Amino acid sequence: MRVEQIIFYALAAMVLGSALLVVTIRNLVRSIFLFFVALISLSGLYIFASADFIAIAQIVIYVGGVLVLMLFAFLLSNKELLNNLSRPVNRLINISSLPGFLLASAFLFVLISAILNTEISWLGYVQQNHFQPGDNTVHNIGISIMTRYLLPFEAVSMFLMMALIGAAHLARKGQKI
Amino acid sequence: MIPVTHFMIISAILFCIGLYAAISKRNAIMVLIGIEFMINAAILNFVAFGAYDKEVNGGQIVALFAIVLAAAGVAVALAIILNVYKYYKTIDPDKIHNLRD
Amino acid sequence: MPLISFVWVSTLAKRGSGISILSILCSLILSAIVFTRVWNGQPQHFQVHWFSVGSYHLTAGILLNNLSAGMILLVSGVAFIVHLYSIQYMRSDPYLRRYWRYLSLFCFSMMALVVVDNLLVLYMFWELVGFTSYLLIGFWYKRDYAVQAAKKAFIFNRIGDLGFLAGIMILLNQFGTLNITELFGDGGAISNAMIEDGVWISGTHQMPAVWLTLAGGAFFFGAIAKSAQFPLHAWLPDAMAGPTSVSSLIHAATMVAAGIFLIARIYPIFDQNILMLMVITGSITSFMAATIALVQNDLKQILAFSTISQLGFMMLAMGIGAYDAALFHLTTHAFFKCLLFLCAGAVIHQLEYFKQAAKIEFDCQDIRNMGGLKNYMPITFTAMLFASMALAGLPFTSGYLSKDSILLYSFDWASSQTGLMSLVPYLAVLTSLATTFYIARLIFKVFFGSFRQKQRIPVLEPPSIMKVSLMLLVLFCVFPMFSWNPFSVENSWILKGFSADVQVLSQSRLLHILVPLLVTFVSFALIYLASIVYSKRDGDGSVTQVARDSFIYELFYHQWFINKLYNVIFVIPLMYLSRVSSILDNKIVDGLVNGAGRSVLFLGALSTFVDRYIIDGIVNLLGSISKSIGNVTRHFQSGRVQHYMITMILLLLTFFIFKYFS
Repeated sequence: MRVEQIIFYALAAMVLGSALLVVTIRNLVRSIFLFFVALISLSGLYIFASADFIAIAQIVIYVGGVLVLMLFAFLLSNKELLNNLSRPVNRLINISSLPGFLLASAFLFVLISAILNTEISWLGYVQQNHFQPGDNTVHNIGISIMTRYLLPFEAVSMFLMMALIGAAHLARKGQKI
Repeated sequence: MIPVTHFMIISAILFCIGLYAAISKRNAIMVLIGIEFMINAAILNFVAFGAYDKEVNGGQIVALFAIVLAAAGVAVALAIILNVYKYYKTIDPDKIHNLRD
Repeated sequence: MPLISFVWVSTLAKRGSGISILSILCSLILSAIVFTRVWNGQPQHFQVHWFSVGSYHLTAGILLNNLSAGMILLVSGVAFIVHLYSIQYMRSDPYLRRYWRYLSLFCFSMMALVVVDNLLVLYMFWELVGFTSYLLIGFWYKRDYAVQAAKKAFIFNRIGDLGFLAGIMILLNQFGTLNITELFGDGGAISNAMIEDGVWISGTHQMPAVWLTLAGGAFFFGAIAKSAQFPLHAWLPDAMAGPTSVSSLIHAATMVAAGIFLIARIYPIFDQNILMLMVITGSITSFMAATIALVQNDLKQILAFSTISQLGFMMLAMGIGAYDAALFHLTTHAFFKCLLFLCAGAVIHQLEYFKQAAKIEFDCQDIRNMGGLKNYMPITFTAMLFASMALAGLPFTSGYLSKDSILLYSFDWASSQTGLMSLVPYLAVLTSLATTFYIARLIFKVFFGSFRQKQRIPVLEPPSIMKVSLMLLVLFCVFPMFSWNPFSVENSWILKGFSADVQVLSQSRLLHILVPLLVTFVSFALIYLASIVYSKRDGDGSVTQVARDSFIYELFYHQWFINKLYNVIFVIPLMYLSRVSSILDNKIVDGLVNGAGRSVLFLGALSTFVDRYIIDGIVNLLGSISKSIGNVTRHFQSGRVQHYMITMILLLLTFFIFKYFS
């Protein structure tokens, strides 16, 4: 077992563990912070898939943007949530969340069995165009975005702007929806 | 080299955790976090397969766009949650059932 | 000659009186330049491609030959003088701007009409002229009779336009071109076309020969409406409802001349039948109008009928082939008739002032109310005298030259005719004498004798601008402007200009001398007679009282009952027809509609029954079924987001399971 594999499985364990903690912990603030731990370790997994730029973007966007947003939302819708903080931690599976748990497990079973039954190497291109560890992907992605994916890029930027304006409009004070 | 199958299994587990959170949590923010987990699971799959696409970087760019869109979605969703809170004085999705017949 | 386009632009752009005068002066100067350059020179021709319909290419352009150059000079000259005159005449009118605008538009369209080289474009400007004359006649639109007159003029013109359009269509079909030069020029399509065995052949295209006559007739029909010839003359006297300056411009000099001009422009197309028709129409018109003018009492009406009469003369001249004499007469007539109208306008204008000042009521246009004005308005009197002499055709005036040339030509022509046609020149002479008589009557009644109103203040001479314009026109009424020899028509340079070679008249030299001499002599006798009859204060009493009761007088006075005839022939049947159709409408159509309505009502009752008990029953049944279904299914609608999500995922899961494990 090589070092990179050890690191990979460690990161995977971090992702899955913190995700599980997120859904089990009753303390909302903690679960939010654990959510970010999970996301950061997920970005480590991206690096193992030779996507260093995506990893950086993941950290910047999620940690820089979404974390702040969620904390603010949490603080603004405070009263009832803060009351919840003091509640005792319940079991992992209570009655109300039983259907969700069963459903999720069934889905997991289906997915895992589907993945294990699939022969990935059957796809021809998987064997050929693999990135080498030293490849400069950022350069490549920049060129691709500005040439091949220019239209989706512009569309996404327009969409982003719309979303921001819409969010600002929705969150405006003193207005009933 | 990490096999793609491992990535896929990790993403499947992550997806199901997110699914569980989205279905059974009694807090809108937690539901949102569950949805984010599901999105990230999908992105992980894109990235894993994008490692085999040296020429056009399709998987990585879709992942990038998905991250961006997810962030935008989070912004809008949080704004909606705030409004819902202002209106109903709660963010428990179970208590918001005006759509019921 | 690129300047000519500037003429158009400037006439179009005119607005106020100052600009208007300026631009008309501009166009006068320009057209004078054009005139000197083109006169007796090579005809000039410019054209641009306008548009294409199928294989037919329409070009629009300018054709300047002697005819159009002369006409444009005439039009712009007369228009200039009338503009000058209008400054004073229309000064107190509240709608002055509108007046100038209409007048400018009229001048523009008239000048354009004169110079364009294409029949279709000509037709457009022809319409424009008719339309602007409608506007100008109805200028005082608050007066009811002015509106009526404008409508009448417009309708009559439209009838004529129809003829013109028909002619254009025939020509286009036959020759495939509407270009005047190509059609009527030397070696043009018309002269190359020939008639063989009753077939009219032109190049590859051929038609029955009767179409040639029809085309000529159609154009002639257009011309008689515009020039107010016999069957369609009734609009012109009514058109006097407009301002007098307009009457002078339109009904003396330009618009009515458009008909004659059209005939001159397309002269080669007319065949023998049409020419004969022209002669008949011309002579009838001129004689009839002259007799009517004998007994009218309205100043402007007399002049209007005299215009019709003179136009009849021109038509007559055209018909007998005296193309050049007709145009010569057109030119001279334009000037002296314009002068007559302007003088009449001055008289009326001043009498209006007098009426207001003296505060008495009388009709300012009725010559019975005038008299003795020569003492008050000597300059107007002089101008009027000259113009009348020209109209009467007395020696030393321009009218003498042109009118006698027509008479001579007609005698010449008649010598080759037989039967009834040989009477034409005698009729013309008679008309000419009648003309002398009525104009003498006019002069004596208006200017001699004593004023027929009780006067406390004198009637004043018109203002100086009006006088200047009158004097300018007087110049054109005397012979030296047209010919150095006051007795010889052939020396007139205009006559030479209009036709390439002046026919040597005088088959009989004797006739040539005798006719003018005789006419002049009788004219003088008539003038003397008129002076005896009318110059006395109550001259109407003795002599005319006898005549007044007679049938002839009645006939003349009511303008030969033409208007009544129109009334009887067209208007009353039309009224009757409309009444019949109204009855038809009320009784039959309404009955049908009512019947239909009643049956629809019955059907409606029936369908209401069906609707209420059958269809509604079915619908209600369906409604209650779906209601019960909805009641069952509503329990699935919890309104909770997460329940929906669960359902969704379950469905997806089921799909996967069936997909992968079966």
